[in-house]
Amino acid sequence: MKVGLFVPCYVDALFPQVGVASYKLLKRLGVDVEYPKGQTCCGQPMANGGVEKDAVGLALKMEKLFAGYDYVVAPSVSCTAFVRMHYPELLSHECHLADACLDIVEFLHDILRPSALPGSFEHKVSIHNSCHGVRELGLSSPSEQNVAPFNKIRDLLELKQGIQVVEPERKDECCGFGGLFCVEESAVSARMGLDKVRRHIATGAEFVTGADCSCLMHQSRIARKNGLKIEFKHVVEILAAGL
Amino acid sequence: MTQHSKKAAAFLKDAKYSQWHDATFWAVRSKRDTMAQGLPEWERLREKASAIKRHTLSHLDEYLEQFAAQAQKNGAVVHWAADADEFNAIVLDILQAAGVKKIVKSKSMLTEECGMNPYLEAKGIEVVETDLGERIIQLMGQRPSHIVMPAVHLSPDQVGELFEREGISDEIGNHDPTYLTYRARLSLRNEFLTAGAGMTGANFGIAATGDIVVCTNEGNADMSTSCPKLHIAALGLEKVIPDYDCLAVFQRMLCRAGTGQPTTSYTSHFRKARPGAQAMHIILVDNGRSQWIGNPDHWEILKCIRCGSCMNTCPVYRRSGGFSYSYFIPGPLGVNLGMLRDFEAHKGNLSACTLCMSCQSVCPVKIDLGEQIYKWRQMSGAIPPAKKALCKGMSMVYNHPLLYKTATRVLKPFHSLDLEKDE
Amino acid sequence: MSRKDEILGRIRAGIGTRYDMPSLDDIAPITYPDPLAAFIASSKVAGSEVVELENGDTVDSIIRKRFPSAGTIASNLPEVSIANLNPDTVESAAALDGTDVGVIRGELGVAENGCIWIPQAMKEKAVCFISENLVILLPREAIVNNMHEAYRRVDPGRYGYGTFISGPSKTADIAQTLVMGAQAARSVTVILI
Repeated sequence: MKVGLFVPCYVDALFPQVGVASYKLLKRLGVDVEYPKGQTCCGQPMANGGVEKDAVGLALKMEKLFAGYDYVVAPSVSCTAFVRMHYPELLSHECHLADACLDIVEFLHDILRPSALPGSFEHKVSIHNSCHGVRELGLSSPSEQNVAPFNKIRDLLELKQGIQVVEPERKDECCGFGGLFCVEESAVSARMGLDKVRRHIATGAEFVTGADCSCLMHQSRIARKNGLKIEFKHVVEILAAGL
Repeated sequence: MTQHSKKAAAFLKDAKYSQWHDATFWAVRSKRDTMAQGLPEWERLREKASAIKRHTLSHLDEYLEQFAAQAQKNGAVVHWAADADEFNAIVLDILQAAGVKKIVKSKSMLTEECGMNPYLEAKGIEVVETDLGERIIQLMGQRPSHIVMPAVHLSPDQVGELFEREGISDEIGNHDPTYLTYRARLSLRNEFLTAGAGMTGANFGIAATGDIVVCTNEGNADMSTSCPKLHIAALGLEKVIPDYDCLAVFQRMLCRAGTGQPTTSYTSHFRKARPGAQAMHIILVDNGRSQWIGNPDHWEILKCIRCGSCMNTCPVYRRSGGFSYSYFIPGPLGVNLGMLRDFEAHKGNLSACTLCMSCQSVCPVKIDLGEQIYKWRQMSGAIPPAKKALCKGMSMVYNHPLLYKTATRVLKPFHSLDLEKDE
Repeated sequence: MSRKDEILGRIRAGIGTRYDMPSLDDIAPITYPDPLAAFIASSKVAGSEVVELENGDTVDSIIRKRFPSAGTIASNLPEVSIANLNPDTVESAAALDGTDVGVIRGELGVAENGCIWIPQAMKEKAVCFISENLVILLPREAIVNNMHEAYRRVDPGRYGYGTFISGPSKTADIAQTLVMGAQAARSVTVILI
């Protein structure tokens, strides 16, 4: 099983440690993983913003870069969701990448299925359930639906020694990032983010963790601006802690 | 800034009020969740509701013919209106022929869509809304801020002062909702007794039986049709469903999804004029619908049963209010319907969505509301030029790894670049 | 071409795939071990009072006890001998205004939501709404589990109007505060007979 690590643009630029943790963790779990050079962006921000056509070239590039891998694993739910849901239509040809692309939480939870993880993380963490993770990739049961509750992020975190996992009230309400939404609708976006951060803080957690850096980035910025004390870590950073 | 984002920013300036607004609608969403969790078959009902609507809309020609024939057989008079103007003219004709000077009406988003009230009033006919919320905003001179709870944006003080000005309440300063509701009851009672016609909308038209089905909590549709000599029912073409078995599915979902109650207090079936009354008229209104059916990306918006749950769950609606949208229906539903109605006039609402997809996850008839907004954004001319230029620039940078490397190191990506000015 | 034909023509031209009607036999809707108990509970949630007719009670005596100061009692039911206004014989619906208690018969009760099916079995249906207090007589064996069962038993050929009533008229239109008694009956009493 050959795995290509897809590190989305903004993760690479702003959270290189998340890419590194992903690589380390997969290696440690015995995965034959490679990081193909020349990666940039999957095209999601343009498409969600309304210029889907500008994403076609990027999609073709991605497809070429990741040809030949059984799985393409990314530490980002919204990028994964975009590749999976929109590439087939964008490219108008059969797209292996769309099927092969998994968020790292899915890959760990559904494919690798480790029964234990090395290292401990002795902190209380609040899960940020990102919208596209919940409602497009199915990482957890959507609060709107009458389905048996589950949460793959929680399942993985609980493999870590010493961790205490909680979820905020309104457990999967949007944090207000939304790509270009946060630029165009800055006032609503800021209010949503503030509401979200306050709910995470109300759980008494020391860390907010989730599967999408963009949501975490948005909230950490808002926390900083408002002088609110809570830290943000991608779930992979916690899973890889102590490696 | 877009049309919506400007108004949203103004709405959020009043922190206390906007928090109340968010909490109020979240509470409705939570009540809805309790209902959904209380029925083991809820997700199956959603599947069935969606499939019934797909079937019905894709056989709408047949069901409309069946409905009209059945209604006529029952004794109702059936009219067909191509657009809003025709609809208004038909209503006026009916009223003038019967010498009616005043009508009482229950809530109808269709009459709102057609601008019926101002049209009739200009022709000298008094129109009295009888749903309490609709009556309040009618007296205020406002449009609804929500399709199910039209006056929810007003405080008891605002309503109390309005009722004092209008002579509806006589205890000055008593703004208790129970008291105000009682005073409105007394005032409306007189209107019911003296109106020449009663008008209702319709939640459903039943093809097999010709029934018009109207769901209310106040009983105002029933009161509106119990005394006057005429009943006029207005329904959009998409309201017709096949039969009672299908109705059972929708009746069970409508109120649970909309307000979080197991049912509305009244689910009323109208088939013909009541004994001794003159006539029951049914007006089937197109006003764009027959064209929307042919739109491959957006026809499923016609599945909507107008429960309002997409508004209640929308994090943007809750934090920006109904009046921040340019179309008279707000929230995810209104963003989509506005675009179908008039692309240029309402494209300023397209920004009001994070694509969180909660709307389509909550929708009882499984309309792909969020995906439709995504599709509208892709249409040429839908997004502001500056946003388009930003996307182009990003695309260029991302397409060239070297440029990208430099840009991300020097500038940092778009988020941090463009957000420094907010809040 | 008529308006109707024009509209139907546009619809026919627009329809893409024609989808089949789904089977509704596999919904497996909720049922209750004791539908009557569930009906009573749902009715209370909807704001109704439920009274069971016991030995020695008559419909008259229950109404007298519950509404001792009622002046006008409107009904066309033979078992309501204390009625002093008849919705079948009033000269207009408006004559029913001011009714303190209206008494009507329900055909069917629904356990899941407290709905009671009231076909129009009187000349002026206003009695169901205009009365300050509504009393509904309901046979205790006429309870079904859910709306699917209910709609199977509603006979569409028999009436010009019919309504499911669940509890009193209510509104939350002012600041989301629930108030009983908006435009129609302010209280509903269900007498199980």
